[in-house]
Amino acid sequence: MLIQLNNCVFGYDKRPVVQVEELGLHAGRCMGIFGPNGAGKTTLIRGVTGLLLPMEGVIRRHESLRIGYLPQHRALELHWPMTGLDAASLAISARTPIGRIDRDNREKILASMSQLNVTGLANRPFAKLSGGQQQRLLLAGALAAEPQILLLDEPTEGLDVRSQQTLLELLRDMTVKGLCTVIISHEVQDLMFLADSVAWLHPAEMPGQPSHVEILPPAQLAERMVHVRQSV
Amino acid sequence: MKNFSHPSRTTGTVGSLWFNFNVPIATSVALGLALFISLTIATPFARANEKTTTTQDQRTADILNDISSAKPTPTSNPIDRPQPQTPGEHWRELISFFAPGLITAVAIGIAGSVCGVLVLLRREALLALALPQVVAAGAAVGLRLGWPTLPPALLAATAALLYLVITRRNRRHGNADAALPALYISGLSLSFLIIAGASAHVEELQNLFTGIDVAVTPARAWTAAPILLVLTAAIAFPWRRWLLIAQAPAAAELAGVNPGRWDALFLVLLTGVLLLGTDSQGVVMVLAMLFLPAATVLPWARRIPTALAAAAAISLLMVAGAFIASNIFSWPFSQSAGGVGFALLLLSHLSAMLLD
Repeated sequence: MLIQLNNCVFGYDKRPVVQVEELGLHAGRCMGIFGPNGAGKTTLIRGVTGLLLPMEGVIRRHESLRIGYLPQHRALELHWPMTGLDAASLAISARTPIGRIDRDNREKILASMSQLNVTGLANRPFAKLSGGQQQRLLLAGALAAEPQILLLDEPTEGLDVRSQQTLLELLRDMTVKGLCTVIISHEVQDLMFLADSVAWLHPAEMPGQPSHVEILPPAQLAERMVHVRQSV
Repeated sequence: MKNFSHPSRTTGTVGSLWFNFNVPIATSVALGLALFISLTIATPFARANEKTTTTQDQRTADILNDISSAKPTPTSNPIDRPQPQTPGEHWRELISFFAPGLITAVAIGIAGSVCGVLVLLRREALLALALPQVVAAGAAVGLRLGWPTLPPALLAATAALLYLVITRRNRRHGNADAALPALYISGLSLSFLIIAGASAHVEELQNLFTGIDVAVTPARAWTAAPILLVLTAAIAFPWRRWLLIAQAPAAAELAGVNPGRWDALFLVLLTGVLLLGTDSQGVVMVLAMLFLPAATVLPWARRIPTALAAAAAISLLMVAGAFIASNIFSWPFSQSAGGVGFALLLLSHLSAMLLD
């Protein structure tokens, strides 16, 4: 068990945003986060990772937990001049005093890039790479920092079908090898492919009330989404 | 029926490259280049017919007169007559005389250009434009009260930073976007209102805006230059940190890095450069060094460290070009730096457009 939440409420300025009865993150498992915009996915993630203290409830965390984050490649500011290696170095640079990358860390990054078959992109301008290449470089960098939990924010958003499949397979391999992955996605297919369980955020019906989280297997999520679409 | 191809798809020859440009941008770039070239060519001829210097400020004129009067007068005895100066000796003498101003300009150039690259990348250009105006308003208080200009300028800059931090934290009130333009115009207006009626100080304030030329005291140079270089190092070395908080603030937070604090540190370092630069050589020099080298190198930059180094090199070219131009054509130093920088910027952008 890496993180366990019991009866937690997270929010801002005494305003509850999301309520979760029970949620656990385990090594070698993938948790999907699913829900409409504004339901509190970001708030839940901030709460789970410890960036936001709970207003109520109990959280237990494994000691000295390393949490990595894979940003959406579409959210990156591509006007910054950087090579593929610079982009892959972002995650490790967050863990050094002023972001300096020493020789050991550089070797770790290059080894991770080699594992994901993106070494050839090290000196290419990052902005000129395809979405799939950018995402694989960022993933290589995130994995080089050796996290126990990896958060992925809409990892397949904007990728072509082939790149999506490659990325999802890579993530499944990493999870099988013992990494805990948490994937935020609107794509039920991605969640069905990767996730062992899904936290579905249901917005509150009354204003001022928090969204509540339902934990269910991905197959059940897909089934219910089919029903929702048919009823619409 | 004619088969028209879209201009943006026309490629192949130099002529056709012209159509690849965005026409308004290409027109304004061409007009700017023509204006700069015509000024460069026309001004020396115009100056040759003038008896008085008009663009050069009074303080610089006084200093140049002092140099002329310090030279020994020719005597009738050929043995006593000094040997005519070689061009090398002439320039060495000028450099040695203007050394404090040049050292300060080099330090402002390096600090400004390094800051400028990150200012443009972080899209903080309006902040960098507004802060020198605020500094000038603070300096005006100092001039009015007969105090040194730096402490009130520092106070004004600190107050402006606090105001910005507060407005950025309360974005939902809608005043964050208005704060910077408001500070810009308020600083510009207040500085002259504060000094209004104190005619003795009006010229000093104008110098603060348009440039104090090379009349910088050695004491000021030896104080400002090392501090500016230390600020440069503090901004340049953590370049990966600035990259991280721009690209993945969530990853930074999860690793225990507080993006807000790093943003605040950047603002403080930038304010330090703008404050010292403005107080030493005026608003024009600081802004020229902040924006022109950075804008010149960014279309070519592949990495941040190379962009920082190239911008610093461009700033040194600007100082050298400005020093030569200001002495040959009697142009004001800061504006000459701006002119040289603008010419380099045009060359860079035109080449980038042609090669794109």
